[in-house]
Amino acid sequence: MEEGLAVETRELVKKYGNFTAVDHLNLKIDRGVTYGLLGPNGSGKTTTIKVLCDLLKPTGGEAFLLGKKVGDNSIAPRIGYMPQETALYLDLSIHDNICLFGEVYGMNRAEIDSAEKNLLEFVDLTKWRNTPVSNLSGGMRHRTSLACSMIHNPELLFMDEPTVGVDPELRASFWEYFETLGKRGATVVITTHYMDEAHRCGKIGMMRQGKLITEGSPQDIIQSTGCGSLEDAFLELARRGGHHAD
Amino acid sequence: MRIKRALAITKRIFRGLRHDRRTVALILLAPILAMTLFGIAFSGEVEDVDVIVVDHDSGDLSERIISNLDDKTLNIRFMDSEQNAVKKVEDGNAWAVFVFPEDFSQNIATKNAVIHLRADKSNVNVASAIAVTLREAMTETLTQAGGEMPISVSESPVYGENAEFIDFFVPGIMAFAIFLLTTLLTLLAFVGERTSGTLERLKASPMRDGEIVLGYVIAFGIIGMVQASLLLIIATVGFNVTIEGNPFLAYIIVALLALVSVNLGILLSAAAKREAQAVQFLPMIILPTFLLAGIFWPVEAIPSFLRWASFAIPPTYGVEAMRSVMVRGWGLGEIWMELVILLAFALVFMILSVKSLQRGKG
Repeated sequence: MEEGLAVETRELVKKYGNFTAVDHLNLKIDRGVTYGLLGPNGSGKTTTIKVLCDLLKPTGGEAFLLGKKVGDNSIAPRIGYMPQETALYLDLSIHDNICLFGEVYGMNRAEIDSAEKNLLEFVDLTKWRNTPVSNLSGGMRHRTSLACSMIHNPELLFMDEPTVGVDPELRASFWEYFETLGKRGATVVITTHYMDEAHRCGKIGMMRQGKLITEGSPQDIIQSTGCGSLEDAFLELARRGGHHAD
Repeated sequence: MRIKRALAITKRIFRGLRHDRRTVALILLAPILAMTLFGIAFSGEVEDVDVIVVDHDSGDLSERIISNLDDKTLNIRFMDSEQNAVKKVEDGNAWAVFVFPEDFSQNIATKNAVIHLRADKSNVNVASAIAVTLREAMTETLTQAGGEMPISVSESPVYGENAEFIDFFVPGIMAFAIFLLTTLLTLLAFVGERTSGTLERLKASPMRDGEIVLGYVIAFGIIGMVQASLLLIIATVGFNVTIEGNPFLAYIIVALLALVSVNLGILLSAAAKREAQAVQFLPMIILPTFLLAGIFWPVEAIPSFLRWASFAIPPTYGVEAMRSVMVRGWGLGEIWMELVILLAFALVFMILSVKSLQRGKG
């Protein structure tokens, strides 16, 4: 794996029976970048994230995170994962959920308390700390989910469609937070099918039918296709059958 | 394997119970209700059975037998007409008619004295109680008259001298309740983990599959112990069941049974996509356990072609071990084989449940 890369895949393939969800994917994501993996539903984004988080075994190819091959036990403590669904214990309070994931990541009580205080302030849930998650609104659950995936201050954070079903105000605050994480040096990999959001990523990769059809900064992709928006660029690239911007 | 991570899962299960009164009620009330209902239903004996005596005997032997009939078991009425008395049985207004013929006393000398019993034998327990009561009254009358049975049985029980039916089934109910409730609770909790995405989140963390399983085993092992304590308290205080052996050994059996059940629950959860599907497994757990594990009738009473099924399910060994400790007063030296078999079941189920977590990777 190349030095300075947070994520690298080489000819990564994932098949479900005869269906190829990820088709010879070659990704290179630099450390400290906010990387958006774009594509319509069924394009292979979530499968890619799951293979990278070692939740699915690849059918072929290789994947590396932070210099280690996926499957190496030393990777898990250094990465964070926010699944598509909120994936929280509804019968527990926000505090209990955060504590659980802190303990799972081997943090002691003082470390959890300190991280929890900062995170709850950031996601604006301090006063709801002891409320069971089942009593929270959808947006609050998303923010709690984000806090749980961040409790151990990961170097590399995977977020699978974090803004789906989130109101515009919360989406804006999420993106501000992702940018803050990038500025702190963390690598953030976000999947989304909202093309308008992708402008805020440092780099994006567009996927279609399991393949990466282009990769680059949002501006580069727009310029190289001669289109007015990322959405039009995606449609143009899909029509052409794929083209790499850089 | 880090015990701290496993304990984080254990703690989360107990933290969750603080807000889940329904599950707490199931954990605490189900064993109480089961033991109380079974205790009340099975600790009583057959009493107040309506029978009719038609006494045509010209001598006094019939009167002496009738006076020796246990009036607690039988509620005796007299009628003159055998036909009318039998009609009462046919109409469901009595369970049996005892008919003493006119020459009953006379025939005793020629050993031809016969009591005609016309009974409704649709209820085996009631019919058996009537027959036993009549036989005891005859023996008592014979003894009072100075007659003696040519053969007698000298009883000296090896185990269970004062044991009643409730002593027999309490160990069975304990094993059944722990097995059923632990499997059910784990199954539902684990299906919840799978469907809500929390299991995926845990698997993306440093948490190992074995640690998740261990966390569940510890939590539900503790819950099983609490349930066993409740069952033992109700059995001993409420129904005067005596525990002949070491109660600590009974707890070890419960812990092993809980270990088996937790892993079975996790294993079954892999085949259920949602909670409603998980509930469909219940008859598969309840029926074989209830019918084949020797809870209410011995495994020896099950037809030989089906008996292998009894030995293929873990509760059979839990029931047998529990009964041996509680009724026979056996120790570790006598029940080690059942414990080893339960442990083997637990280990096999644990390996399979961990494998089932890994299988999801595809």
